[in-house]
Amino acid sequence: MFTLDPVNVALVGCGAVSELYYQPALTELERHDLLRVKALLDPNAQRRQQLNTYFPEAIQVEGVSELHNSNLDLAIVASPSRYHAEQTIQLLESGLAVLCEKPMATTVVDGEAMVRVASQVQRPLAIGLFRRFFPATQTIRDILMAGILGQVQSFYCCEGGPFRWPVQSASFFQKDLAGGGVLLDIGVHLLDLLIWWWGYPVGIRYEDDAMGGLEVNCRINLTFAEGFSGEVRLSRDWAQPNHYVIYCEKGWLSWKVNNASEINMGLYDTKFALNGQLYENKFNRQRPSLGQPAYTFEQSFVAQLRNVVCTVRGIEEPAVPGQEGLESLKLIEYCYQHRSLMAMPWLGEAERSRVHQLGF
Amino acid sequence: MTLKFAVLGANGFIGGRTVEMFHLSNLAEVRPIVRHYSSLARLSRFDLDCRIADALDQDALRDAFAGCDVVLQAVAGDSKTILDTLTPTYQAAQEAGVRRLIYLSTASVHGQIPKPGTDDNSPLSDEQPLPYNNTKVKAERTLRQLHDNGELELVILRPGIVFGPRSYWVASFADGLLSGTAYLINRGKGICNSIYVDNLVHAIYLAATRPHVDGEAFLVGDNETVTWADLYEPIAQALGFDLAHLPEAALLEPEPPTILDRFDTIRASRPAQLFLSLFPMKLRQAAFTGLTALREPPPSPWTMPRPQQPVASLEMAMLFQCQYKLPHTKAAQRLGYEPPVSFSEGCRRTVAWLDFAGYPVSSRC
Repeated sequence: MFTLDPVNVALVGCGAVSELYYQPALTELERHDLLRVKALLDPNAQRRQQLNTYFPEAIQVEGVSELHNSNLDLAIVASPSRYHAEQTIQLLESGLAVLCEKPMATTVVDGEAMVRVASQVQRPLAIGLFRRFFPATQTIRDILMAGILGQVQSFYCCEGGPFRWPVQSASFFQKDLAGGGVLLDIGVHLLDLLIWWWGYPVGIRYEDDAMGGLEVNCRINLTFAEGFSGEVRLSRDWAQPNHYVIYCEKGWLSWKVNNASEINMGLYDTKFALNGQLYENKFNRQRPSLGQPAYTFEQSFVAQLRNVVCTVRGIEEPAVPGQEGLESLKLIEYCYQHRSLMAMPWLGEAERSRVHQLGF
Repeated sequence: MTLKFAVLGANGFIGGRTVEMFHLSNLAEVRPIVRHYSSLARLSRFDLDCRIADALDQDALRDAFAGCDVVLQAVAGDSKTILDTLTPTYQAAQEAGVRRLIYLSTASVHGQIPKPGTDDNSPLSDEQPLPYNNTKVKAERTLRQLHDNGELELVILRPGIVFGPRSYWVASFADGLLSGTAYLINRGKGICNSIYVDNLVHAIYLAATRPHVDGEAFLVGDNETVTWADLYEPIAQALGFDLAHLPEAALLEPEPPTILDRFDTIRASRPAQLFLSLFPMKLRQAAFTGLTALREPPPSPWTMPRPQQPVASLEMAMLFQCQYKLPHTKAAQRLGYEPPVSFSEGCRRTVAWLDFAGYPVSSRC
């Protein structure tokens, strides 16, 4: 850790993600004198009060305009995603750096406006795609870039399960308010990783099960510039194995979703495979040794916030700048614009006819 | 006039399929009701008038039922939930002017091994070995009492083993195959009183619309007499397993209490706790550690891993021993119930769903 004046932070949105994720991470960084939570914003007084119990020095406000002249450096936008663009732009224009929770916006047009304003006012804009801070996802990227297992041949990523996030209203599931279903919610994390590893895909085929509402299951086939293809499955409906498997020329890599510090790897046709628990690499050209255990899920989240604090202080660049966050949003929007209905083979004839008739 | 149909417990397996089928088949204007906002996730595929109401909250239920003709009570949960939600549901539906309540009971009220000759009118016992059966028997009795003193019509449906997409029976077997814990008893030759979920939803529709069935209970099932092996075979085949290679399960017998178990009982008693409190904490912790080591001696480092024989629960052991196909003659006569989906077609759709849900389906039946 380093010594600098703590960064003054506003937490915009006091819902479940703020209480369960941002609150403990911010508390940890307050403990290291890296930041101070100075303001809590939410239209719901009860939610503000709940977060105020953790940050008693913070003022409570209902709207972004009330944050002007509050001597703030950084705003964390963790409100419902339909408010992200408007709030982020207001905050950037008032001179604050912004960490915007994923998805950065519900449309590419809004996301581009956020990036444009950040550039115009010369303030940092980071996006909360924090899986890039996982030691596991970084190591997978390193292994792939080094070509240790040879060229990638294909991949299969499945993620999700019955929805259990403690949402506070029905708006999360209303098409006109949520902006998207499982693809926009958890797909944005997954697609960001794939783009980070392999670049923007050159071939995209997408289908989901929305029939007048939001998709609960979806399937995406992606082809990347190096010529390999793979499949992504997302679900809010049924428990998935929650793993990514990458098949390369010589062997395979797999990662259990949200296991920040472990990957599995194997060669084809060998008797044993490797369960790799990650540690800091202390190799010093004479002898290899292991340092501290790699960051956990929670520590990676803290690392994301620390990166943003360091960005505000001009010490680091944001690991996920707005421009990069935009890429997964573009892919999602493309999927929605080119969607087809998944085959649901359990539907009876009358149901299939009506689905066809209604044009889903 | 369009039937207005409320589904309480709409995010469950049967409630969810009822919503889907009623909506997509245009059978009714369906209103899903769930307890939490998060339970709206799967229902959000459709643009429906969903409501949030705790099934224990009569006022909230009354508001949610308002304007509906029929309510389906498909609330799942533990014994307390099953029983405590009945009165609020019945009273709220009555106050909201609902015409009929359909209660989703179970064929298990007749036990997992029904005697030959058992039918809808056979007496029910609440002293069965499985607490779930007793709870459902009590639930039916409670509803009948409410019905005797109320205005709201009541129809009770008793499905057997409900299978299909998202069924516990299907998913747990598929998961068992993939994890290496699946098993059979008596090679799966016992009779499975199956009902494909769409056949049950069809029965629900009939129960909602047929006249002169107030106060009746109906067993409902598939037409075919099938075994557990018949149900499991297509699933195993689709996932690349051979049913013939599955192990036979041991039956789960309650073990007699050991000396240490008896010691635990004594130690937990209030006089013993008072006596133990006279000793220093460290001494008590050391004694506890010593006893724990006695109870679970560490395995020898020379022990080689070996596959464990699967153990069946009492419920599964009983189900596998069933030798009687429950009839649905009464449902056929009074409701006009004729299962629209054959067992083999139900299996085909179920396997197709496994593929949809992401199971590694290698072949389809």
